This record gives sequence, structure tokens and C-alpha cells, in this order.
Amino acid sequence: MGILFSVIPVLVFLSFLFVLDSFKLVFKSFLLLSIVWGISAALFLYFIKVSNPVAAPLIEEVLKSVFVLYLIKRNKVGFTVDAAIYGFASGAGFALVENLVYFYAMPEASILTWIVRGFGTAVMHGGCTAIIGMLVIFSKSVEKRGGLYIVSAFAAAFLIHYAFNHFYINPVLQTLGIIIILSVIFVLIFRYSEKKLHNWLEMEFSTEIDLLNMINRGEMLSTRAGQYLGTLKTNFSSESILDMYCYIRLYLELSIKAKRNLMLRENDFPVIIEEDIDEKLAELKALRKSIGKVGELTLAPLMSLNYRDLWKLNLLK
Amino acid sequence: MKLTAEKNGSEVLLKIEGRVDTTNYGEFENSVNEAISDEIKTILMDCSDLNYISSSGLRVFLVIQKKMMASGGKFKLFSMQNSIKEIFDISGFSKIFEIFPDQASARK
Repeated sequence: MGILFSVIPVLVFLSFLFVLDSFKLVFKSFLLLSIVWGISAALFLYFIKVSNPVAAPLIEEVLKSVFVLYLIKRNKVGFTVDAAIYGFASGAGFALVENLVYFYAMPEASILTWIVRGFGTAVMHGGCTAIIGMLVIFSKSVEKRGGLYIVSAFAAAFLIHYAFNHFYINPVLQTLGIIIILSVIFVLIFRYSEKKLHNWLEMEFSTEIDLLNMINRGEMLSTRAGQYLGTLKTNFSSESILDMYCYIRLYLELSIKAKRNLMLRENDFPVIIEEDIDEKLAELKALRKSIGKVGELTLAPLMSLNYRDLWKLNLLK
Repeated sequence: MKLTAEKNGSEVLLKIEGRVDTTNYGEFENSVNEAISDEIKTILMDCSDLNYISSSGLRVFLVIQKKMMASGGKFKLFSMQNSIKEIFDISGFSKIFEIFPDQASARK
């Protein structure tokens, strides 16, 4: 019974988060890898044995978050929802191993111990890594002081973890508190993220379709975007202008299709994978390289190319 | 946005007029849900007076399509203005929905 209490709650909590992901942003392969990462991190720490009360939570939080940070770095995470779920999954994997190790080391421990460990410690592990993922992805969407959010993320995770380990209040109350507080935080943040995602889709989708329509009809020059491109002739070679034009056109096409796939995923429809998508993504990459950073900055008034704009291209494959 | 419904046995003809965007997509979805019941097997959506649709509107169309597919029914769109048809074509939604040039071909 003890073993069930120590491993089931965190998996139930993870499933609860997965269900809250109404836009189906989470890829199952990454979710599984996140759990595997957490398991690996726990096994690694089990063998190197860090027992210092300050260093242990710090090292654990850093190690658990490596995989979600890697996903963010590779533009595989778009919103706080998927960042939170991948983060929580790593923490859950970590907690599973930790609880199993404790279970076999202390077979005589009471059922209350496993309830506290299963509902409290395990959920705390998942929650702390989720907080890191959420704040790091949030830092990508702010123009200034992004680093502050990253530092805050690790500080918050460390403090929660450290305080939890020291049982400053009754362990049962602490466990109850962590479950209630994290559930409320996640529901609120997920709702906020969903609203943000909805607005993002709404704002850009129609505009991009209008602009792409004009380009396809050869009416680009009559648009503000076309007039702006025209003014660049004095500073850029004809080849560069052409590359920028091709880049805008291809980017718009791919962006619209990525958003379409997001809407399809939301409603459980199979996404449409165009046959030539690999070639188009490779072409976009080549054009991006060709126009370079200067070209990208030049195009900034016409099209945003922030973190999320690159993330969405993952939805095409 | 205005939606009118005309039931005929297991079929319902919906006529959508105006814009479907972020301000009224909820109202649009509710109106469609009110118009369709379990016995409805075919929804014919007259889009001739639909002059704007945003991603919120498209998502409602997807919800209807999903519902009809689950019940083994059909959701057919017809008489789309060119500007609206372009949105479906350019985004690839034409592959998801059954779109017909007019009511007669949608009924076949």
C-alpha cells in the first residue's frame, strides 16, 4: 500500500495537468523523455550522494530542470502550459525514483510517511521544476529583465524545496498546502496561458492570411509592407531584397499552416503534414541564414520573429 | 453576426450572416448548438453572407465538424464568398471541411 501512495499521486497530478492542456501543446514523446530525464537525474544523485541540506535541493532543482531548459532552448516549448507540464514530468520522474529508494530503505515506515512523500514531496518536486519551466518561458516573452525571471525561477524553486525539506510546519498540513496551492496556481496559470494563446492566434492569423493573399495576387507593393521593402533598395542588394521577399512569403505560409495545425490539435483532428514541408522548412532556414541578423532586424517592423514565432514551426512536422 | 436555422427532418440549413470573430464566436457556437439536436444528421451551412471569419470562428467550425463526425453526421459549407474561401484554401482548412459552390451541390 505504501508503495502505491508514494508513486501514484504524482502521476495523477501529472495526468491532471495533461488534461488541462486544451490546445494539446504537449508532445507525448517529449513528455516521456522528461520523465526519463527526471528518473536519470535521481539515479545520478543517488550514486553521488549529496546530503548537504542547502546544496542538495539546489543541485536537485538545477539537475531536474535541465531537460525542460533544453527543450526551451531548442524552441520546442511555446507557452507556460507545455513548459509547466514538461517540468512537472521531470520532477515526477525524479520523485518516483526518490520515493522508491526511500521505500526500500525504510520498509518499516508508517503509511503516513508514504502519504506525505507521495502527495507532498513528489508533487513538490514536480511543482518546483514546473515553476522553473514556466518562469523561464515567461522570460522569453518579456523585452527587458528576462534574466531576472530566470534567477527568480531557480530562487523560488530552491526556497520551496528547502522549506519543504525542513518541515517548518506539520508535515500533513504542509502536504495539504502544497497540493492545494500548486493546483490553484496551475489552474490560474493555465487559464491565463490559454487566453494568451487564443489572443495570439486571433491577432495574427487573419492579418497573415490577408498579407499572404496580397502577395500571391502580386499586390504586395500596394501594401505598407511592400512600400517598406521598396525603401530598402538603397541599402540592400537586389538579391537580398528578393531573399527578404521570399522569406516573408514562405514564413507567412508556414506560420498560417502551423496555426491551422494548432487548431486541429485542439479539436483532436489529425494535423495536416504537407508533402513538401521538409523542403519548405529547409528553404526558410536557408533564407533566414541568407538575410542574416541584419535582414531579420530590418524585417522586424513587418513581422515578428520572436521565440514563439519560431516555436510554432514545430507544429508543421 | 446573425444565424438563422431551418430544420427539415434530419437536416438543418443554417444561414450565417456578417462577421464571426473573437467578439461573437461564443454566441455563434451557442446558436449553432441550439439549432442542432441529436436527430440532426446533416448540417448545411449557407456562407453566402458571411463576410469575415477569424481564427475563433474557424475553431467553432472545427468544433461543429468534430461533433458531426462523432455522431456519424455531415457538416457541409456552401456558397462561400471568394475572400472567405481564400482563407480556407490558404490555411489548408479546405481539406478538413466539405465545401460546395452552392446549395444544390451540397445537397447531392
